[in-house]
Amino acid sequence: MIKLIEKIEGEAKLNFSFKDNKIDDVSVDFMSTRHVEDILKGKTPLDALVINPRVCGICGHAHLIATVRALEACYEDIQISNKAKIIRELTLTFELIQNHFKWFYLTIFPFFGVKQEIAKALYPTQLMGKAIAVFGGQYPHTSYAIVGGVVCEVTNMDIIKVQRYIDETTDFFEKNVLSIQNSDLKTLNTLNDLSHVKGDLRDILKKIEQNDWQNLGKSYDRFIAFGESSYFKKGKSIKTRVTQNLAIDDVKETDSTTSFAKSVHYHDQYYEVGPLARAMIGKNPLIKDAHRRYGDSIFTRILARVYEIPQLLEHTKILIESLDLSEPSYIKPEVDISQLNAVGISAVEAARGTLIHKVEIEDLKIKSYEIITPTQWNLCGGHEQNLGVSQKAMIGLDNVKLAEMVFKTFDVCSVCTTH
Amino acid sequence: MNDKKEQKKEQIIVASLHLFATKGFYNTTIPDIALSLKMSVGNMYNYFKSKDLLAKEIIKFVSSYFGRKIKAINEENISTKEKTRKIVEVYFQTALLKPEMIDYFLRIYLSTREVFKEGCEGMICVNDFVTEIMIYFEEGVKCGDLRDQDFFSAFGLFMGYMGGMVFLKGENVLPKELDQYIDDVSSNIYKALSA
Amino acid sequence: MKKTRVLWLTLMSCNGNTHSFLNYPYIEQFLNDFEFIYHPIIDSDYTLEEIISQDIACDILLIEGSVADDFIKAGVPGIDIIKRYAKIVEKIVTVGTCATFGGIFRESNYKDVSGLHFQEERRTDKYNDLFEKTVSISGCPVHPEVLVSTLYAIKKGLSLKLDAYLRPKEYFSYTIHNGCTRNEYFEYKVDNHHFGELEGCMFYDHGCRGPFTHGSCNKILWNEVNSKTRAGLPCMGCTEPSFPKRNIFETKKNMGIPEFLPVGVSKRTYLTLAGITKAFTIDRLEKKLFDD
Repeated sequence: MIKLIEKIEGEAKLNFSFKDNKIDDVSVDFMSTRHVEDILKGKTPLDALVINPRVCGICGHAHLIATVRALEACYEDIQISNKAKIIRELTLTFELIQNHFKWFYLTIFPFFGVKQEIAKALYPTQLMGKAIAVFGGQYPHTSYAIVGGVVCEVTNMDIIKVQRYIDETTDFFEKNVLSIQNSDLKTLNTLNDLSHVKGDLRDILKKIEQNDWQNLGKSYDRFIAFGESSYFKKGKSIKTRVTQNLAIDDVKETDSTTSFAKSVHYHDQYYEVGPLARAMIGKNPLIKDAHRRYGDSIFTRILARVYEIPQLLEHTKILIESLDLSEPSYIKPEVDISQLNAVGISAVEAARGTLIHKVEIEDLKIKSYEIITPTQWNLCGGHEQNLGVSQKAMIGLDNVKLAEMVFKTFDVCSVCTTH
Repeated sequence: MNDKKEQKKEQIIVASLHLFATKGFYNTTIPDIALSLKMSVGNMYNYFKSKDLLAKEIIKFVSSYFGRKIKAINEENISTKEKTRKIVEVYFQTALLKPEMIDYFLRIYLSTREVFKEGCEGMICVNDFVTEIMIYFEEGVKCGDLRDQDFFSAFGLFMGYMGGMVFLKGENVLPKELDQYIDDVSSNIYKALSA
Repeated sequence: MKKTRVLWLTLMSCNGNTHSFLNYPYIEQFLNDFEFIYHPIIDSDYTLEEIISQDIACDILLIEGSVADDFIKAGVPGIDIIKRYAKIVEKIVTVGTCATFGGIFRESNYKDVSGLHFQEERRTDKYNDLFEKTVSISGCPVHPEVLVSTLYAIKKGLSLKLDAYLRPKEYFSYTIHNGCTRNEYFEYKVDNHHFGELEGCMFYDHGCRGPFTHGSCNKILWNEVNSKTRAGLPCMGCTEPSFPKRNIFETKKNMGIPEFLPVGVSKRTYLTLAGITKAFTIDRLEKKLFDD
């Protein structure tokens, strides 16, 4: 049977076949694309900074940061101030946080017999949007990170303003999502430590347990993350064994005959990306404990994503304190980017996982541009012998509604997937 | 009434241009100018409070004269090459028929800067003329006739060349009349500036 | 009062308008007065499959994304969905620059990509019968307040004054330049802007299209706090038919003279004024704002 999956920044079609009342096979088809990589061809390199945020309305900022880093990677040597690096990390992190809130309250909630919590989704979302706008002018679709730094100058008053947004978001999280002071996060090391914590996350986890869904949606238990930051580590985790040596050149895309989404693999294997992958690679104790109990199920996946919020909020507080406002925001590169004939590649951790951009500049123009999105890693279909990550997670379930829930725990973003 | 006053002002300017060209700027006094127009000195001061103010009005007068001429050329539906020729023609014809105007620009405005320091900052007093040259350049580049470059490198070439020719003429070293050079000079300028 | 029924239809789009709309600070109030029969994110009473196969009662059709004959949405041509609901609704609103002018995906590989009525500046004439009932709200993305307030105006039955592209004049008669905190640097031709500074104007070198782009970005701020030009990012002209231009971070100049000038100001007027202001040095504007 065919199920149209909606409200995922577009649609996808899941085509299920059942055997003995269980899902035996499922194909994942994304039905339209906008050819962004083709649109970029022949453009002035800097124009990619304006076009690429428009890959996606929800994680466009990650595309901006990936673009600017790919362009900067074309230089053998380019100077970026620490201040600019921190500001970029801050705004990217704000986007991650707001994505997590939206996903939790708008996408996940309805699967648990509760209505979307629009106000709860949007209040912190808007605060994080404001925080980005202080630096970038607006959200979504700013292009404030440019080759050489960021366009904005930041004052002490700006910092004070942004700190209030962070505090207010933290407060909101503590009041609504997980009733524990952010400063006490370190005391949460096992699922047992969660037992006296209240809040919407706790309620959802309880419902998963009440429905006996803790073990639903397991996939390969293979995780990967290429984006490095002051917070995230690069690495892969296979059944809890973490290694750091990764070669980004070994990430390959394969065309699909039925879907506009290309599947992505590393050494011919599919990996899950996203908050759960980052927590496994970063060896987060609470998530590791959930994983020990329930593996890479929807329980662990939902917990990992929502639990990333307070940690990221804490990290932004440290980052913002470390800003040295006397540094320049922007250092004009000695050579204009269009003068280079070079290839640049970047990887950033977006809300849904590793985002890779690869640009080739030749004769003043973009010769080619390749974008690999997190949702390609998680959602693209493979084939019977080598199923995609979300496909594998859906096999064996006994109904389509559950399959849709499992599918959406990976957080689908159709526009990103096909771009 | 006002029109009449303007007419009188223009008469004063024209008379002054003559005197400056023949006697020199510093050797000409307001009473000299009044005398040449058979005006009382007191009445002269009704029009211009000082020689410095008069000097500034004159350069604006000259600039607006050229501005009007070039504006008419700019508004013609002709190629940049033809425009170039017409601008050179206007400049040389003026040098021929009203030499005091070009003389004033080259010998007084450009070399007596202390007079023009206040009130004629930058290119304010020659704005009418410079604006039209800018439009001539901008449109020339936009239609693909002229090569894009810094404004001043093009402006310097244009003005320096034409001014140099008029200067040589003034020094009596040119073997031919100025208008004999219009074709060559305009063609050289166009070649140098064209895309 | 009866809720106004709205269909939010997303075609070839990044969904940026959807997410920009979610930045409207009073969405719950909005949802007391309007109900989405379908929205790309907010839950609705109907599924997309129901929307595309039935005629559901609806008052306003919102179109997000570029329009192309061969763009397929959930198995049906996107334009079929437009046609189905165009008959039903009282008003159509093109939300964002893609739906209004074709926008960024004009260059995708579909056939003849455009906005509903315009392909860049050109009237397409494809949906002439819908022209009268359309209001355009361009912007990449749309400004949430501009969208929501326009929807309320439609609900109230106000007669909106529209410009030639069907955009409400109350928002699109301004230029982005209006209200920019960098205005003085433009007015007095202080043309030494460097990225990463509070000072300076991006018009001269860095491609700012603020003086000739219509919109209210510096009047109704973004996320209620800022705007691109205030932050130091040139206006890219995202509300205009020609968006996106090429060489976005560079001012197109001919012999040092900007090719595009403030809207409605003749070249002669601009150059005359520029010549005057450039002659003066305004000490305050040459210095850093906060220098001792």
